[in-house]
Amino acid sequence: MAPTACFNCKEARAVIIRPKNRHKLCRACFINIFETEVHETIIGTNLFFPGERVAIGASGGKDSTVLAAVLKTLNERYNYGLDLCLLSIDEGIRGYRDDSLETVKRNAVQYEMPLDILGYSELYGWTMDQVVEQVGKKGNCTYCGVFRRQALDRGAARLGIKHVVTGHNADDVAETVMMNLLRGDLPRLSRGTSIVTSSDASDIKRSKPLKYAYEKEIVLYAHHRQLDYFTTECIYSPEAFRGSARTLIKDLEKIRPSSILDIVKSGEDMAALVPVEVRGAGKSKQLAEEESAGGCGSQNGRTSGGEMAAMEAQLAENEEAESLETEIKLHNGSRVKANRGPTGKAVKAQTIKHCERCNYISSQRICKACTLLDGLNRNRPKTAIEVGVGMEDEESSSTLMRQMERAQLSAT
Amino acid sequence: MTDTPNAGQGEFPIPITVEFTGGLELLFENERKHKVVLPARLEDGSRPNISYLLKYLVDNLMKDQRIDMFIMEDNVRPGILVLINDADWELEGEEAYELQQGDNIVFVSTLHGG
Amino acid sequence: MPAKELNKICMECKDAEFELTVRKRQLCRRFIAHKVQSRLSVYRAFGLDGPKHQLLLPVSLGVSSSVLMHILNSDRQNRLSNGRPLGYDFKILVIEPSTIAATGVPFDKNFEALQKNLPMHDITRIPFHSIFDYVPEVKEILQEYAGSKFIDDSAQSNEQRLAAFRASIATPTSRTDVDSVLLTRLVVEFAKKSGCESVMWGDSDSRLAAKALAGVAKGRGASLTWQVSDGMSPWGVRFEYPLRDLFKAELLQYESVCAELSDIVIPDQPPSENVLTKNLSIDELMLRYVQNQGAKYPGVMANVARTANKLNPSTSGSAPTCALCASLLGNVKGNSGVTVANQAEDNHSSQFCYGCMRSRPEELC
Repeated sequence: MAPTACFNCKEARAVIIRPKNRHKLCRACFINIFETEVHETIIGTNLFFPGERVAIGASGGKDSTVLAAVLKTLNERYNYGLDLCLLSIDEGIRGYRDDSLETVKRNAVQYEMPLDILGYSELYGWTMDQVVEQVGKKGNCTYCGVFRRQALDRGAARLGIKHVVTGHNADDVAETVMMNLLRGDLPRLSRGTSIVTSSDASDIKRSKPLKYAYEKEIVLYAHHRQLDYFTTECIYSPEAFRGSARTLIKDLEKIRPSSILDIVKSGEDMAALVPVEVRGAGKSKQLAEEESAGGCGSQNGRTSGGEMAAMEAQLAENEEAESLETEIKLHNGSRVKANRGPTGKAVKAQTIKHCERCNYISSQRICKACTLLDGLNRNRPKTAIEVGVGMEDEESSSTLMRQMERAQLSAT
Repeated sequence: MTDTPNAGQGEFPIPITVEFTGGLELLFENERKHKVVLPARLEDGSRPNISYLLKYLVDNLMKDQRIDMFIMEDNVRPGILVLINDADWELEGEEAYELQQGDNIVFVSTLHGG
Repeated sequence: MPAKELNKICMECKDAEFELTVRKRQLCRRFIAHKVQSRLSVYRAFGLDGPKHQLLLPVSLGVSSSVLMHILNSDRQNRLSNGRPLGYDFKILVIEPSTIAATGVPFDKNFEALQKNLPMHDITRIPFHSIFDYVPEVKEILQEYAGSKFIDDSAQSNEQRLAAFRASIATPTSRTDVDSVLLTRLVVEFAKKSGCESVMWGDSDSRLAAKALAGVAKGRGASLTWQVSDGMSPWGVRFEYPLRDLFKAELLQYESVCAELSDIVIPDQPPSENVLTKNLSIDELMLRYVQNQGAKYPGVMANVARTANKLNPSTSGSAPTCALCASLLGNVKGNSGVTVANQAEDNHSSQFCYGCMRSRPEELC
């Protein structure tokens, strides 16, 4: 095939087809346009203010490495005046996190940014290696995910920084939209697509400047700029992407490459259509705690593949109650249904509280991290109450999480 | 291999470089770069293309049993990018691209975290 | 009563013998009918103290819409024979399947069976390409939509013109998408012209779940409030989905115990095994996804349509809408996101919404 010329400069050889509009671009134009679009997102959403101190949640993986590289470039090119630093969480997994932290350390030198590493051991008194020793490999991802979500906020607080940016990309956001629709979770559907999420508890703003960037373009950006990033699978959660909603997203991308941003667009519209009374906390604030719930920390907002089984189990529990509810509505609710408006629809509200132990934001009396820590510290792993949901489903970390929640409810 | 009367330049075996990154190297004994030599012509007289290369890699290079992490529906699994001499394979005809001597083929997984 | 006999009794009415197994409960067919009828009580109530509420029932001659028709008809006959007021009445519209699907399934016998079965009924059959007659402005819209490369030849028959337009769309996803937009418009126009205030769609729960997921994947999330939820459509005709609580499998069971349906229903084509995922349309992918996952996780799949049904309809009353599908142009009020189909270029002057822009013939995706 004859080389195609770049759509933009009409000269250099095109090496990329953009998923969102099928434009064929050369290396230089692609890098420039990718950066410009992130800049437009930042400006269009007033994401930063001059002089703001911003911590980049850095794992050494592709997303956060690209985020650091792009933010450094834009900060210099457009004089944002940002004070950028890298913040890494050390889960304490020997042979896995050690290597990725080496990458982050090199990034700190390459991008001339200060780096802070905060360990689970410091924060919680347990490394993941120790957690696994106690609870085994099944369900350990739940601990890791719950701990990680708070860790970034706590790390930022310790540095006196009020804004943490993460490498969540358009594929992550699209997956979240699909999962929230499957889960029937309206509060999260109303919040999951917003670029900024903040929590009342920690006063720390979280944002995702790459939310409109295709994962494919992030990988290609890293490739063409030859960025130094680290890829491996967590030794405790190999093949985390197998059978997950991620597969569906990638199939869709294959059929219609734009569809990932199309889902984001749908998600943003639907968020605005979620009835106000179920959005939670009135404002469009998100519990940092629940972001990418059930996922593995290193998977950056991805589902683990066992989520469906957990959701099904949860829904099956409600089945009996709900069919009764429907019957009641059918018999005496006909007039109400005739004028069915926003108020006529059955909706569940969610309240936001603070954890009684650590004061972290939580939808329960005691936050998930403290509950998990209780279990660990009492030397009584909750895996003992695992119920049979089939071989495949037993692998699911979220199954465990659900059981944790149940155990917690019955304890209160 | 078939008899080839015209020993033109195209009839020499085709040496290429294959790279696995983004986590895919884990399926290939954690080696990123591999030198591969493909035959100039296949049994049916056609030239080796990416489809052939995929089959070749699975049969000859891949020791890992988890073939579905790399191949699905006889093609590259969705979520894995293919670069042909640094260009997106979609610009080169995807699996129908016929390999040339010295080509550099990169497979990048976007599926792995990091 | 001996235990053996008790086992044969419908768990709901404790009277008739059970015929179906619905979510592990053994029931008679009246239960499924009841689920649908109670959704109709709204219209009954309206029609009792005024003129009858007119409903339009588009029947594809597939399982779901045929079952819905059967249930409505049984309800009607029961009420008439008992001398009770019906409150509503319905018309039946069949858009000739052979003019929609390229595979051209012969359906004349099925249609005749339908007429024979409902002799008292107002049943109309029209071809897909009659959209040019029912919606005259559609030809300008299609010309504008398809872009400069498509030339509409008005010397040709409607059938040829529609075929030429459809052929100009490159991908299965876009073709399926635009087809369903056009079919909806045709049904709506027919409803308006025949004095119907509501359209009763025969989508099962599984179908609605697939529709919702596919709609989201095609950038049409904002339209779920009438494409999946019960509610007012942008054309001033209400859309209702009375089968929303029933899985496809349950409708198949119902069909199997209604002998009179066997001559009417065109059985589903089994999904072809050897189509590569990348060659499927998004609608087809989602249908397969819902079928496969629904076998393992029926509750999760049932949840999708239920969730979509809880969304508020968009309140931007006078906001400009898409010339083709009548969805909102731009974002829903309150959405400050910046995803824009076909960035730059003709986006701001476009009369087409985000979802329709994605399915345009000139889009090379």
